[in-house]
Amino acid sequence: MKNYLFLSFIFFSIIGFSQEDFPINGVRDKNHNSHAFINATLHIDADAVINDGYLFVKEGRITYVGPKTKLPKSCVVHDVNGKHIYPSFIDLYSSYGIEKAEASPRNDYPQYNSLKKGAYSWNQAIKPEVNGIDTFKDNEKLAKEYRNNGFGTVLSHQQDGIARGTSVLANLASNSQHENIILEKGAAHYSFKKGVSRQAYPSSLMGCIALLKQTFLDAEWYQNTLEEKQKNLSLEAFTATQTLPQIFEVRNKYSVLRADKIGDAFNVQYIFKGSGDEYQMVADMKATNGKFIVPLNFPKPYDVEDPYDARHVSLEEMKHWELAPSNPKFLEQNQIVFALTTDGLKKKSSFLMNLRKAVKMGLSKKQALKSLTQIPAEMMGVYKELGSLTIGKQANFLITSGDIFEKGESIHQNWIRGKKHEVSAMDLVDIRGVYNLNVNQNIRTLVVSGSKAKPSGKLTYDMITDSISAKGDLVLDSLTGKPYKVIRKKSVKVVTSLNDHTIAISYQLNGGVYRLSGNVNFDSGVWDGRGQMPNGEWIEWTAIRSERHKKKKNLDKALEFAKSIDKEFQAITDSVNLGKFNYPMMAYGWDSLPTQKSILIKNATVWTLEEQGTLETDLLIREGKIAHIGKIADIVDVNTLVIDAKGKHVSPGIIDEHSHIAIERGVNEGSSAVTAEVRIGDVVKPNDINIYRQLSGGVTASQLLHGSANPIGGQAALIKLRWGNSPEQMKVENAPGFIKFALGENVKQSNWGSYNTIRFPQTRMGVEQVFYDAFINAQEYEKKWSVYNALAKKKKQEVSAPRRDLQTEAILEILNAQRFVTCHSYVQSEINMLMHVADSMKFRLNTFTHILEGYKVADKMKAHGAGGSTFSDWWAYKFEVNDAIPHNASLLNQMGIVTAINSDDAEMGRRLNQEAAKGIKYGGMTEEEALKMVTLNPAILLHVDERMGSIKIGKDADIVIWSDNPLSVYAKVEQTIIDGIVYYDWKRDLKMRKEIQQERLRIITKMIEEKNGGAETQKAVKKKSTVHVCGTLSDDGN
Amino acid sequence: MKNVQYILIILLGFSFSNFQGQEAPGAKQGKSVLLLNGTAHLGTGEMINRSAIVLENGKIINVMNALTNTINNSDYDTVIDIKDKHVYPGFIAINSTLGLMEIGAIRATEDFDEIGTYNPNVRSIIAYNTDSKITPTIRTNGVLLAQVTPRGGVVSGSSSVVHFDAWNWEDALVKEDIGIHLNWPRFMKSSGWWSTPGDSKKSKNYMEKTKDINMFFDESLAYSKASNEGDRDLKLEAMKGLFSGDKTLFVNVSYVKEINDVINFKRKYNLKKVVIVGGYDSWMVTDRLKENNISVVVQHVHSLPNQPEDDIDLPYKLPKLLNDAGVPYCLQYFARMEQMGTRNLPFVAGTAIAHGLTYEEGVASITLNAAKILGIDNVLGSIEVGKKATLFVSDGDALDMKTSNVVIAFIDGRMINLDNHQSRNYNKYKTKYGLE
Repeated sequence: MKNYLFLSFIFFSIIGFSQEDFPINGVRDKNHNSHAFINATLHIDADAVINDGYLFVKEGRITYVGPKTKLPKSCVVHDVNGKHIYPSFIDLYSSYGIEKAEASPRNDYPQYNSLKKGAYSWNQAIKPEVNGIDTFKDNEKLAKEYRNNGFGTVLSHQQDGIARGTSVLANLASNSQHENIILEKGAAHYSFKKGVSRQAYPSSLMGCIALLKQTFLDAEWYQNTLEEKQKNLSLEAFTATQTLPQIFEVRNKYSVLRADKIGDAFNVQYIFKGSGDEYQMVADMKATNGKFIVPLNFPKPYDVEDPYDARHVSLEEMKHWELAPSNPKFLEQNQIVFALTTDGLKKKSSFLMNLRKAVKMGLSKKQALKSLTQIPAEMMGVYKELGSLTIGKQANFLITSGDIFEKGESIHQNWIRGKKHEVSAMDLVDIRGVYNLNVNQNIRTLVVSGSKAKPSGKLTYDMITDSISAKGDLVLDSLTGKPYKVIRKKSVKVVTSLNDHTIAISYQLNGGVYRLSGNVNFDSGVWDGRGQMPNGEWIEWTAIRSERHKKKKNLDKALEFAKSIDKEFQAITDSVNLGKFNYPMMAYGWDSLPTQKSILIKNATVWTLEEQGTLETDLLIREGKIAHIGKIADIVDVNTLVIDAKGKHVSPGIIDEHSHIAIERGVNEGSSAVTAEVRIGDVVKPNDINIYRQLSGGVTASQLLHGSANPIGGQAALIKLRWGNSPEQMKVENAPGFIKFALGENVKQSNWGSYNTIRFPQTRMGVEQVFYDAFINAQEYEKKWSVYNALAKKKKQEVSAPRRDLQTEAILEILNAQRFVTCHSYVQSEINMLMHVADSMKFRLNTFTHILEGYKVADKMKAHGAGGSTFSDWWAYKFEVNDAIPHNASLLNQMGIVTAINSDDAEMGRRLNQEAAKGIKYGGMTEEEALKMVTLNPAILLHVDERMGSIKIGKDADIVIWSDNPLSVYAKVEQTIIDGIVYYDWKRDLKMRKEIQQERLRIITKMIEEKNGGAETQKAVKKKSTVHVCGTLSDDGN
Repeated sequence: MKNVQYILIILLGFSFSNFQGQEAPGAKQGKSVLLLNGTAHLGTGEMINRSAIVLENGKIINVMNALTNTINNSDYDTVIDIKDKHVYPGFIAINSTLGLMEIGAIRATEDFDEIGTYNPNVRSIIAYNTDSKITPTIRTNGVLLAQVTPRGGVVSGSSSVVHFDAWNWEDALVKEDIGIHLNWPRFMKSSGWWSTPGDSKKSKNYMEKTKDINMFFDESLAYSKASNEGDRDLKLEAMKGLFSGDKTLFVNVSYVKEINDVINFKRKYNLKKVVIVGGYDSWMVTDRLKENNISVVVQHVHSLPNQPEDDIDLPYKLPKLLNDAGVPYCLQYFARMEQMGTRNLPFVAGTAIAHGLTYEEGVASITLNAAKILGIDNVLGSIEVGKKATLFVSDGDALDMKTSNVVIAFIDGRMINLDNHQSRNYNKYKTKYGLE
């Protein structure tokens, strides 16, 4: 985790403040006046405040900041008594003023090659050559939105692709196209999204990761190679932009870790543009040593009044709704350096509101200011120019009505490079009050109320009418006999519009419209002017204030109003009422991670699956390992958890050789016939609920496989289901590497519709050639490198190193028995073919997975030394499985082939014991043989049987306690233990169900309170949940 | 007494013409058979530990407790001693596409989804393939009957009930055109596609779609009341039976709000027989379902909960929840891999037992309960006197894969061949490798 070097050579000198080279239309502008802002509260930076301070600005820069002093000559004085002045904010994550990336034309057929013309990368998502500056144009409308929310400067880039090119750092002053640019190339930007590219590769997150890594290697090779090479402007730009700050946009907390790993591999420390969920893994975030740019796009409460619809909102979403506003606080508490951005907000106008919400939740005002000024300026290496009120810096500052982090205060002016931009009027006259309005000698009472900025009026007057009884008769005066007269209070609405010191009034009376225009004098004590009567006659009018606006009463009202829209704050600020953190932050997450204990399981039927067989005995677990099998009278350690398992069965934990759970954004990088470079291990998703569900089915370890979309797929990851832990902690330590191969209909795209017909191979004939080509290429690659590596040190400097290729290196590992193959396979012809390929290339195929026709070639598999991992009884779902038989596993087993039964299915994964039991029914396995199909045998296939797969002293304590014989359909899992840690307990599960409901209800109540308080909401809808199987295809490149 | 055996006999008195390929239907039963001493799970919720079951002319003519009745073996042409074995009524695969789909990925073999929105006149029975290679592998596990069901559109078509021992679909028929299948609109519309679903949204046209269905039922109701000679409308005519109660309306629906709407819909049209298929949320409205006499064909027990916070075993215990609330229900096997997977129907009942049903309730959930919903419980679904002799014997518990081993099965009294191409293939390769 190395710090990148900041650019020490920033060309401030080229930032001219006027365009000297431009011809002048008229006389020369020689105004060199200063502006003096006096009597303000000056927030120099996050730490320093000067009360009643003076700030002078000249020609776009700050010339003085400090206590009261002598005014400069030729100076415009702004008395801003009572106002606050802050440095203007800086937003480092923007696409302001930049043209959008253009997508390639749509085509029904997949696009395998780049359509971008020019000497650029082979892949359209790699475009470091794009410079924001090239298309940068001021956009006054958007600039105004930024300015109105306090921003003076943005870092802007084209938000498209994986390597996105450079951004421009620019001020947001209006109509200052040329003056605004601060840094032509501010930073280099990256993401794990391929963007508008329609090129097939990469179609998955792991593909995006692999592509970026390969680009690093290619750029290095391109730069260093001495041999003749083809021009590649993308690689040149990639290298050239490495000296800039490197900003990596990610979608979630896990991807922060993914990006950081890439950074570590290539000596880059990224600045992470996070997603706002960093608080969920804040220690891991801290450990990256990276700085962050975080959004304030807090989710709106959901519509949860309908108890049925509310079920579609997951606890994960509810908790995030509640905790997201605390994200900045948690980052601050953990001393993570972070800037804030408006990115992700639907409306920029909600920025201040959300910022204040974050402050209410505990983000310090100091930190908030720092994260909006100094930190972003430092990240960009421009703190000498921006980010504080310091003499010599650019005059970018805000004048506000008060403490900007407090509700109700507003920004009046945003000065950028010494140029004023008004946001809200600073010295607005308060015209509210009660007036005697005299129009044409008729005096009526006018009451002006409402807000100061938007006052509204009401005209009241008396009207004398005949009295009418309840029956509707005229009431007659008993004396005069004439209708009795009564006075009624009447009122009409008055439309007022205030423009500086002039006012316009109109109202309807007696069927006619009165329209008045006039001046506001003496602090609104007197209004006068002329107007037009309904009959068209012009008259004079006046209004004399009789009563000032009643502040006190209105204060109450204001409080009430504030209360009503502030309910969200009240609800949230009650931080005692914030729910617990869960690991992972969702249903069935832990309040705190479970810990390792000594566990004594007494009186159980223990299926050792070793020579000892199945015994009625005790089992002791210590330090995560099986410590003792046999009766134990006394417990030595008092902290030992004792489980009386009389009548229960204990088996080794189930190992699923073929699983696709817990994978983020794409199980297939099926965009090319060979994708050995992609790694499932890069995209493990520890908050997949199926991890927990499978624990409840006794699964302790799963091999997460790449899909079967191509002959040579990606690298696999072996995880233990350590629910609640981080991706890296899930992985089995030092597990041997595996890679997925596939044969048959999937790889030749037989069932992918009419358009997926152009990728090689489309037949089984072609599949063989893909393998030969890949392996022969790998052999040559190895040769090239061994020749180079054998060179003497001196010689090495004279020639260039061969290009490193991640894909070929993975394939080479297979040839060198450093990586094992598990191959999706169905029919005998292709199985035999692949064994021939392996034999001739002198490596052994470790596992045929699915292998539904394995029974036809069992003798050959045996001779080759391959194992099988099959479905218990699936067939008939496509043509190539029409000859599958449920006796397959049994027959392979009888032939002495190491055989496993796998799931390839998130639901079946939690019933693998039942699938194993079918081996008894079809082909007559013994019960122990059957249980081995999902425990010891997959452990052997995965080369982890030394530590997993059976109950043997010294092995990992990965075990399951069952209510019944584990092969029976009636058996239920009571506890699942991994490394001596109880990860699933059925009693705890029942308890949690209730807790989940209570927690949901608590948050639902809060949401409804917020809604009733006037908060905007979002609909309760079911969020995407992905269940992968082998053939799952999708474009997850975004 | 011609032939009395106390040990299990497999082919006694019965002969199969065993072709390499398709299993031929069994010969018509003439003689009487006594199944003696087996543990009988009657399908009614009752069981007899030592039973004596007499089959004659394709019917069950006597069901007795062998311990409390005097059984005279010589009264029967054939006596099969099934001591320590279990006997069950033939399991029923309700809401099934068996015989309508041979190989999932091959469109040419698919015959359950007709084009069009309202297809009540489309009849699954005529597409039912008695020679499917799949069916023999299903009956090997005791599933002997199915409701052959069309899918797709809004009204998918009409289903019929068949048994699995027939030369052609006419032979296979148990009851023709018993139900009309309706896919209720979805309140939440999901985006994306099955492998990478997007967020669901509240469907904008849920109301519109339900109104459209109402309109179709208005038309159907009007048509059913009039005589339409000379002016026949095939679609509306096919709907007639729903109003008279001759046919059952099967409604595929899951979300509780939709279920409520279906209940109201039943009342509005005064439909006699309505069955909810799927019903993930049915446990939330059991009182209304009972009041309105609606049964539930529970969604596949072996499925994942819809939401991360749902009880992890919710689909497993759904049968128990309905059972305890007194809602008539049965189990089904509609899911991914459904046709060939139907042989696992008994184990789905096993899981439901593991999660709360009693054993006999579990048996009923795939036998008599289903027969009642299909309206065939007068002739099938249980081991009771007068019903068809469609039943089977398993060595062990047929609902547990660990012990299930079906050794004898009868359909209408015909003993059927339990062999299938898969076991033959197994034996073929065992021979090749010299394995025993």
